[in-house]
Amino acid sequence: MSNIAIDAKGLSKSYKIGKTKQQVLNHVDFNAYHGQVTMVMGPSGSGKSTLIAALSGLMKPDEGEVIALGEDLWKKKKAKIDKFRLDHCGFIFQGFNLFPALNATQQVEQVLKFCKVKGPEARQRAIAALTEVGLEHRLRQTPAALSGGEKQRVAIARALSKNPQLLFADEPTSALDSVSGQVVIKLLHRAAKEHGAAVICVTHDPRLEAYADRIIHMEDGKILDDRQITPLT
Amino acid sequence: MSLALSTLIFEWRRYLAAVIALAVAGLLVLAMSGMFMGMAKSFTNTIDRSPAHIMVLPPQSESLFANSGGQPRRIIPMLYQHPEVAEVMPMNGSWANFSNFPKDGQTAKSDGVQVIVIDPFEGSVTLPSDFSEPVMQALQEPYAVVLDRSVLGKLGVGLGDKAKMNGQTVNIRATVDGYPSMFNSMVFTSRQTARLLGIVYEGPRVGPLLVKVKDPTRAKQVVAELNAIGGGQFKAWTREDLSVANQGTMMKEGGISIMIGFAVVVGIFIGIVITWQTLQGAILANIKEFASLRALGVSMGRLRLIIMELSLWVGIAGLGLTAVLVAGVAALANAYAVPMDFPMSIVIPVVFMLLIIAILSGLFSLGILKKSQPADLLR
Repeated sequence: MSNIAIDAKGLSKSYKIGKTKQQVLNHVDFNAYHGQVTMVMGPSGSGKSTLIAALSGLMKPDEGEVIALGEDLWKKKKAKIDKFRLDHCGFIFQGFNLFPALNATQQVEQVLKFCKVKGPEARQRAIAALTEVGLEHRLRQTPAALSGGEKQRVAIARALSKNPQLLFADEPTSALDSVSGQVVIKLLHRAAKEHGAAVICVTHDPRLEAYADRIIHMEDGKILDDRQITPLT
Repeated sequence: MSLALSTLIFEWRRYLAAVIALAVAGLLVLAMSGMFMGMAKSFTNTIDRSPAHIMVLPPQSESLFANSGGQPRRIIPMLYQHPEVAEVMPMNGSWANFSNFPKDGQTAKSDGVQVIVIDPFEGSVTLPSDFSEPVMQALQEPYAVVLDRSVLGKLGVGLGDKAKMNGQTVNIRATVDGYPSMFNSMVFTSRQTARLLGIVYEGPRVGPLLVKVKDPTRAKQVVAELNAIGGGQFKAWTREDLSVANQGTMMKEGGISIMIGFAVVVGIFIGIVITWQTLQGAILANIKEFASLRALGVSMGRLRLIIMELSLWVGIAGLGLTAVLVAGVAALANAYAVPMDFPMSIVIPVVFMLLIIAILSGLFSLGILKKSQPADLLR
């Protein structure tokens, strides 16, 4: 059986909107495995983004626990959670969130420097990561000179360069055309298969289902359906 | 190159307001103090360029300006008691009335002038070191006077003209540069001409004494030894110390310090408010990028450091622009013979002031980072 990467139990979260309280996560149990792409699908407002925020240490749930890589995430102090993310987590967002001043190589190098990777090694790893996402010919371009798909690939290289064991992607293809979307999801798939990362991808793009090892459907803060497509080894 | 510096260079338009605010704050303070320092310096030009190594003033004097009472002439022989003293001469400055002989269509001008008495021979302690040989020779003629080029227009005369000083005719035989004066124009004459004009006072009291020593490198020790010989009857200064004290006295004058203090307060206020607001706006424009770094695990402390580094670079850019603006103002002042001076004692505090403004603005802007919530990037 594959190694379990993240195991969450009883996650609940509610927001106050005006005077009403809205439950966005309702006692959700969730797990994900290394080497697999777990796709979380559902309509807007179903709680999928809140789920990955809680799983990744970005937003504390009201109830429940998250065991990530064997550690109880929400029992840690804030600084330790930051450190956990720095050491183990990669993120890909719908917006690419690249610094306009930095070229592709510098975007990746910047993050590696925060991980205390030394200058020449950071550069080498940045170039390797960008080569892996097929951007070896765009190393010196700033975001303004890159297409949407290329920007997302830089963001993926930035996330992958840290060799994360947990890779969270939130609607990574919704701002992209179908060709770029395919490229991006293939890269996520490869991150799982070749790097052994647990990829948790939130999307409502049905074209991505083909690349999923497991598909979880959410609605109204609950998991409605959990289909394992690729059998666990 | 760091993220902060790359961002500043790439998005310079976004940060321009902050850089300009800092430069204007720096210019405000430097131009104002530079003008006052220049005024102070124009009063002490003749001392700064005197070949004298030591000046002797009355015992309680704190600068050249505060010794109107003069000192006894008998101090001169006392100074010669020191074996290293080579020459002692009193510095003579007095006032005279100067008027032109208007040519056709010219208006008659009459003004009070400050007369600086010089002994026009090689090595004289009263001869400013930048006076050329022809100027010195010109001064040797009776009734010859020398003016700064910048005052010719003000006095309504030209080189080679005749003019009237205290009722007697004098010849404008040469001009010099670098002796502009904010108030009364300076007129240089020889001691002989000054006597002919009746403006040399040769009574028992003298003004500041100019002293030349045999070995200029020992001026500091000789000053100490002279003060010991004097036993409190006079106070000897090295030329450099006196020059600094003169400018210091100028700055301590109530009005000037209030004006400069006001400029500093206004400069700091404008600088901080504009720099802070600009920095905040610029950070806010990149807040999603900062949030994505937070998501990747970069701590808030590291992001704060980026902001502080950014504000420091803004400060340095502001300093650069200040230097350019101040150089422009100084060149303009020079072109119009307005005396300005920027001693390090003013420039260094202003450099620190600008850097502190930039750093404080950075500190005030840190709050905006709270908006970099990575969970907000999830939709």
